Amino acid sequence: MGNEGFYQEFEVFSQRTDTSPLQYQFSLLAPNREIALVMAQENFMRREPAADIWVVKRSDIRKLTPEEKQSLQRLDNKDYRTTKGYGYLKKKWRHYEQEMLDEKEILSWGGMKKGD
Amino acid sequence: MTEPVSKMPIDAKVKPALTSLLYQLADDDFILAYRGSEWLGLAPHIEEDVAFSSISQDTMGHAAMFYQLLEDLGEGNVDSLAHARKAAERRNAVLLEVVNGPGHYLSSAQYDWAFAVVRNYFYIQAKKIRLDSLKNSLYQPLAEVALKVNMELYYHLLHWKTWFIQLMQAGGEARTRMEAAIRKVLADFEGVITLGPLAKDMAEHGLIEPEDVLKQRWLLTMKPVFESINLAVSEADLAMKNGNGRIGEHTADLDAALTTLSEVYNINPAASW
Amino acid sequence: MSEALFFQEMTEEQKYEQFMKRINAGEKIEADDWMPEDYRMTLIKLISMHGISEIMGALPEKEWVPKAPSLKRKLGIMAKVQDEMGHGQLLLRVAEDLMKPLGKTREDIMQDLFSGRLKFHNVFHMEAPTWGDAGLIGWLVDGAAIITQTNMLNASYGPYARALKRICAEEVFHAQHGEAIIMALAEGTEEQNAMVQDAVNRWWEALLMFFGPGDASTTGTSKQDTTIKYRIRTKTNEDLRQDFFTKYIPRVLSLGLKLPDETMHFDQDQELWVYRQPDWNKFKDIIKNNGPKSQERLGLRRTAYETNKWVREALNTAN
Repeated sequence: MGNEGFYQEFEVFSQRTDTSPLQYQFSLLAPNREIALVMAQENFMRREPAADIWVVKRSDIRKLTPEEKQSLQRLDNKDYRTTKGYGYLKKKWRHYEQEMLDEKEILSWGGMKKGD
Repeated sequence: MTEPVSKMPIDAKVKPALTSLLYQLADDDFILAYRGSEWLGLAPHIEEDVAFSSISQDTMGHAAMFYQLLEDLGEGNVDSLAHARKAAERRNAVLLEVVNGPGHYLSSAQYDWAFAVVRNYFYIQAKKIRLDSLKNSLYQPLAEVALKVNMELYYHLLHWKTWFIQLMQAGGEARTRMEAAIRKVLADFEGVITLGPLAKDMAEHGLIEPEDVLKQRWLLTMKPVFESINLAVSEADLAMKNGNGRIGEHTADLDAALTTLSEVYNINPAASW
Repeated sequence: MSEALFFQEMTEEQKYEQFMKRINAGEKIEADDWMPEDYRMTLIKLISMHGISEIMGALPEKEWVPKAPSLKRKLGIMAKVQDEMGHGQLLLRVAEDLMKPLGKTREDIMQDLFSGRLKFHNVFHMEAPTWGDAGLIGWLVDGAAIITQTNMLNASYGPYARALKRICAEEVFHAQHGEAIIMALAEGTEEQNAMVQDAVNRWWEALLMFFGPGDASTTGTSKQDTTIKYRIRTKTNEDLRQDFFTKYIPRVLSLGLKLPDETMHFDQDQELWVYRQPDWNKFKDIIKNNGPKSQERLGLRRTAYETNKWVREALNTAN
């Protein structure tokens, strides 16, 4: 068998619905991406819905090596990036007789109707 | 369960054409799904085994829906329709009953993948065209089933067309094997296209379009595909070499298949399994 | 992760120590991670055997796919056997990734199967001559498989644990599919009842063997200590066999079926099921491909693989 061969590795990703994130499924062997694509749904999503499927040739994926995974470590000193660092505002707003606009409140605005 | 029959009174003049059409649809899918089930575990690679089996299951599911329409018309229950009818009563196209290749499915199977690809691709395309027409059938229960079945045919077509194109383009031995399979399939493809002796009645009663319209549509749909792989196919290549299944003509392959598929059922057709 | 020592600077002993520390802490090992050679080889052996057993396991049931007695049963068993192939796919992918550094591929797995180097589970060498066997395989053989597979759901090797999670979810369907067939036969005619009882009699010994020997003294070798040490599994073969008895014997008896072992009983003092040992010499012989159906099924697999070779060659370099 040549260095390409019939058994090439593909990684399969799928989306459950139009709004869900792409999720990793599993890997399969196929001679090319067209065949990989027609294998994907029935091999890994026989019992669940799929709104989209991606197949990616494994050799095209650059992953972290075990050593490089050490680059993922970071200190726990970054409160300033998150709401955690601004929690004191709640008490302050209370002083002005206002509610704090927290994550729950702000993300609820998307569904707000005019005049709410 | 489908609609009660009483809602849809069937004109005695329409019934023979309607049941004839339903038997063809049901028997075609049933026997091809059976042939597909024999392939299980023997495909060119494991991933394909899994994918192919889904298609066979879908196809047998379609047969069950068509048999259910016959049951609703008082033709007998779905399992006896599928298991108890003799070869001469079957209305499937002969092409779909032909064995997958030499050997038995349990021991010495040397199944022909080229034949599987061509038979399934050509048939599914014809089935798609037939079902698109049935979506407008005046027999409402059939139109509703056609709409549902149609949904699953996109994948079947994509799957078989991918294999067909790739193996045709591969050249060499694959091309030779594929061309032999194409000749074999076309030699009996008229048997798939034909709607049998009541075809005219079917069209007149608005059950389905005339068979020649469907045939031209198949040729037209396949034309660009054939051209893309440098294959010359003309209408004259379509024949009915091994008999007309629509009038109950069948091969010994069907007798053997029926013996196998009804072996357990026949131990006691009245029992619950 | 306070270790400042870079991985490549570690000695083999330090790597091993860190590896054992990781798995003992419940961390998962991934395909690209460093692992002891012994761990890799143990996994390759275990998972390739598990995977190829699924593929070979499709064959005893395959007989009953076209023969199933109703449309519903035909569809159910097709889906079930399809899943077996699917499980084989998942497991072989896991094994293939482990073999990659050794330069081996699926092609080698298939050739190892044909040459007899790669074994498959004892149960799949046995005959399945009636529809009762089709039901029994789904019910009890899959039941036994569920017991052994759930025991490895927390395996230290991440890809195996993930594959098993998918597999076990589908096994629930298999168990119910088998139960449905058995229940219909048990509640059916006398002839149908007899079909189930015959199948139980035929499969009993193979089911006991399925979990493997209690310890190395029975068959000379046993990998169970290694797999427990590496946190691939937690329970011993005998623990699993006992679990199987506890779960399934009451169910078998409740359907009016008899066990073909009159010595079988639960010993309250020892809190153990007491049973007659299967013939372990027979077991050794069966897994050496000398079982009643070993050669026929290997022959079918080999013929199919060879017959389709042209397809794999045709698309060898496509795209």
